[in-house]
Amino acid sequence: MDKQPVPKKELTAQWILLVAVFIIATCGLIYELVAGTLASYLLGDSVTQFSIIIGVYLFAMGIGSYLSRFFNTDLLGWFIKIELLVGMVGGFSAAILFLVFPLAISFQPILYALVGVTGILVGIEIPLLLRILKDKVAFKDLVSKVFTFDYIGALLASLIFPLLLVPYMGLIRTSLFFGILNICVGLYLTRYFYGEIRNVRQIRFSGILLLLAQVLAFILSEKIMSYSETLAFNDKVVYSTSTPYQRIVITKSKRDLRLYLNNNLQFSSVDEYRYHEALVHPAMTAAGNPRHVLVLGGGDGLAVREILKYPSVESVQLVDLDPAMTRLFSSQQILQQINKYSLKNSKVTVSNADAFTWLKKHRQQRFDCVIVDFPDPSGFAIGKLYTTAFYRLLQTVLQPGAAVVIQCTSPYVAPRSFWSINTTLMACGFHTVPYHNYVPSFGEWGYIMALDQDHYQVPDTFAITARYISKPVMEQMLQFPEDMKAHTPLEVNKLNNQALVHYFEEEWGKYLEQ
Amino acid sequence: MQRRDFLKISAGLAGITPLLQACRQERVIPGSIIGASAKTGHLLRDHAFSEPESWEPHQVVIVGGGISGLAAARQLGKAGINDVVLLDLEAKTGGNAACGGNNISGYPWGAHYIPIPNNNLTEYLAFLQEAGVITGYDAAGLPVYNEYHLCSDPEERLYINGQWQDGLVPRFGLSDPERLQLKNFFRYMDAFRQQKGADGKDAFAIPVDASSKDAALTALDQVTMKAWMDDRELTCSYIRWYVDYCTRDDFGTAYDKISAWAGIHYFASRKGRGSNASYHDVLTWEQGNGFLAGQLLQQCRAGVRTGALAVGVRPAEKEIRIAYYDVQQKKLKGLAAQQCILAVPQFVAARLLKDESRLQQVHQYLHYTPWLVANLTVKQLEERSGAPESWDNVIYGSNSLGYVDATHQQLQQRKDKRNLTYYLPLTQSDPDSARKAAYATDHATWTKAILADLKRIHPDIATKTERVDIMLWGHAMAQPLPGIAHGDIRASLGRSLAPGIHFAHTDLAGISIFEEAFYQGLHAAAKVKALL
Ligand SMILES: Cc1cc2nc3c(=O)[nH]c(=O)nc-3n(C[C@H](O)[C@H](O)[C@H](O)COP(=O)(O)OP(=O)(O)OC[C@H]3O[C@@H](n4cnc5c(N)ncnc54)[C@H](O)[C@@H]3O)c2cc1C
Repeated sequence: MDKQPVPKKELTAQWILLVAVFIIATCGLIYELVAGTLASYLLGDSVTQFSIIIGVYLFAMGIGSYLSRFFNTDLLGWFIKIELLVGMVGGFSAAILFLVFPLAISFQPILYALVGVTGILVGIEIPLLLRILKDKVAFKDLVSKVFTFDYIGALLASLIFPLLLVPYMGLIRTSLFFGILNICVGLYLTRYFYGEIRNVRQIRFSGILLLLAQVLAFILSEKIMSYSETLAFNDKVVYSTSTPYQRIVITKSKRDLRLYLNNNLQFSSVDEYRYHEALVHPAMTAAGNPRHVLVLGGGDGLAVREILKYPSVESVQLVDLDPAMTRLFSSQQILQQINKYSLKNSKVTVSNADAFTWLKKHRQQRFDCVIVDFPDPSGFAIGKLYTTAFYRLLQTVLQPGAAVVIQCTSPYVAPRSFWSINTTLMACGFHTVPYHNYVPSFGEWGYIMALDQDHYQVPDTFAITARYISKPVMEQMLQFPEDMKAHTPLEVNKLNNQALVHYFEEEWGKYLEQ
Repeated sequence: MQRRDFLKISAGLAGITPLLQACRQERVIPGSIIGASAKTGHLLRDHAFSEPESWEPHQVVIVGGGISGLAAARQLGKAGINDVVLLDLEAKTGGNAACGGNNISGYPWGAHYIPIPNNNLTEYLAFLQEAGVITGYDAAGLPVYNEYHLCSDPEERLYINGQWQDGLVPRFGLSDPERLQLKNFFRYMDAFRQQKGADGKDAFAIPVDASSKDAALTALDQVTMKAWMDDRELTCSYIRWYVDYCTRDDFGTAYDKISAWAGIHYFASRKGRGSNASYHDVLTWEQGNGFLAGQLLQQCRAGVRTGALAVGVRPAEKEIRIAYYDVQQKKLKGLAAQQCILAVPQFVAARLLKDESRLQQVHQYLHYTPWLVANLTVKQLEERSGAPESWDNVIYGSNSLGYVDATHQQLQQRKDKRNLTYYLPLTQSDPDSARKAAYATDHATWTKAILADLKRIHPDIATKTERVDIMLWGHAMAQPLPGIAHGDIRASLGRSLAPGIHFAHTDLAGISIFEEAFYQGLHAAAKVKALL
């Protein structure tokens, strides 16, 4: 320790400034980590994102150090102003990036600019502080102290960021929180060194304004998030909610209305009839005059709308996991206009239950036609609904002569997935009729009809009013070109191998990478 | 300013105070240590019982309602012997295959799976068919396994080098020479699986006693698994960890203690083939082997008395007298049987018979590993990257065996909460001191240790765990040390005592697995039938 006696007031000042270094270092690194994480979220490839951002940040700090030599008077004042600036830029950085991402054609330049500016500002601070402290008190281990606090701050930041901040606060709030902290420190310094700074009132005033802005943004961070979602969806988000099961987003443009579940498009009002007519009518017709129909999934009521076109139908049982979905589609005006109030029809019973569990509990019921409209098999939980175990359970509720149809993802993007469902159905003793059609908002889409007898014949007429389906169209749908065939032997999808999920991940993964 | 003040202020300024507070408060996680009824069991050791007032006559009495005892009871029923009483000290039968449950799912307290059975085990296959585990046979004569009972995919994953990998055999982050050692190891094991001894029998069979007695093979029972591996230069840390994990998992014995024969048996004895499964597949249920214990109980016609601690078994004129303590009524009762099966661990059997020299022998040869099994009720947990949540989740390098997700076989899409069954064989020190230390440790301390272990794979486990219930098995299983499988001790302890006391327990089988327990029961039942 330094032997020279140091006046108490000076000593305190010195400590306060060191604390400021500590906080700047913590905040600086946090902003950098926020930027890196956000870039990995939004752009993918975390290794590249992080290494570029760290590089840019460190380089910018170098520039900052260099620039610090041009500050020669009122060092303390500048120190505080820069502190406030760091708080402003860093604090708003995550929010800005989220908002800018969907809009900007070039997201990266903005990202690197923000990281660069933060780096430069932090880079100026440290040398500036060294000089301030040198003016105030001279002691041997000044440099060592400053850097110690700098690095401790860095350590703290890198520890709390992944462990506490991201899980508990999320990115937007984390960066705002540290912005607020920066600004508070700046304001505190203006108080402590009141007499030693020029224009102190002005600095203070702008500091307080900034603080208010950030606190407000902190409170509104949820809104910012959902606004940025609006931008990402291109159209206006008219409804969005997170249920325990999924995130439901409905967007509307002049042209159409779209439903997204977990960011996957479920339908566009413009062409959904192509999908639902192709899904429902072949099976309904194959089943003869179906009286009792079961719909698994399909909480939007669009398949039910098609089913209700048949006068033979006496009851429709819909089983969908998510009560929020069925509630939405049986209460919202604009949505009900699309499903023609199908979920409110007296023939229709809606149950919110897990399809697997529901079937196990209702084995005594019998149906003439079953429409299976589950989400694609993108994970092990949903993959269970495409297994031999599930199809065998389904067989127990089928009336002789019943027809089942299953939405089977895209045979163009994922031919092995599509055909492995076919293999699985055949392994359960079904006779299958695979077919596909083109739905502009989806692309090529596939379906498989499963029957108990090998007798399928395209009907001469589809006795309902339809915009899409007809005998020649159905005949065409049965044709598979070479690029929609599997070309390799496929595994049967079972609970204990989940082969389909593996195929699906591989095929869609590859497709989305392109 | 003082240094302390400085720290306080700087922490305050950095805004970490509220964060520190958030993680400072250590929540007390509810739960309890539930047994196995060590207190009741110890009465047998520490308490002198008088004579019961009367002796209730029955054809057969079975002491012990684990798999061995239940299998014996079921078999006697099949043989038309119906006047059978089965005693177990616990409130429910099942023994090491006991289970519990809550509103989320059932869960195991011990044994949790069986591998696909070997096809020559006719009686065992018949039992499984009766239990609905086998649904029929295909045209090739292979058993078709119930799809709901085969372990669902994804089955196993290993947290290694900062990542979850698929499967338990270490792969992620290994160098080529290390991979080669693992490959060589499995080559040896495959060869052993095919091998037959000079006597024409399988080198490694189930039950153990059906294995070849070829001296070249039984010599493996004289060295430890580690020594065998060292001789073959299977020495990299990954292969050592893997084999040690396996021998601790199945036999509660470290690889440097276990007999090489027993260790290899784990890898080389499984040859089962099914229509829709093969020997590396497993069958499992929410409640683990508690499902099978329940099926055995359902299929047996014996009068089952639980909360019944047998305290003495002795031959009298023309009958065997069994004294037991009714834990509920706190009353000593007596049974008089023509034949009796002791389906209890050997140290218990020796005490029941009040045979000191037998007890000495047991102490000399049989060393019982204590185990801890904990069931944790958790909310959605944070996941590390790599392979997704699986049935069996193992941490490379941990003393524990990781956890099995008891809800894995459930079919529904969404699970808000799950029950995780955590396994910890206490093999770090010698069994006696490990047992004492385990009993002396309280619930909070165990919970903390368990959560610290799991925190590596689920950073938020401490805040997401709602309940931890702990089972301490003081004498979970006898270690298959060198000399047990092919020495004389098992035959000597297993020999029936005139005029009608028989033994059935996995202690006597050499290794502790379901099939051995099942056949222990069957063989004892056959002896009883022959003498009645
Ligand atoms: C933690 C753990 C995990 C395991 N996992 C597996 C697994 O996954 N798969 C597998 O195949 N095997 C497993 N095992 C091995 C398991 O021990 C055997 O499969 C089998 O359950 C043993 O049955 P048993 O009847 O031989 O013995 P036990 O289960 O020991 O049965 C003995 C019975 O006797 C009763 N008893 C004892 N003393 C008395 C008395 N004085 N009076 C009355 N009753 C008494 C006990 O309560 C108990 O019910 C595991 C064992 C443990 C401990």
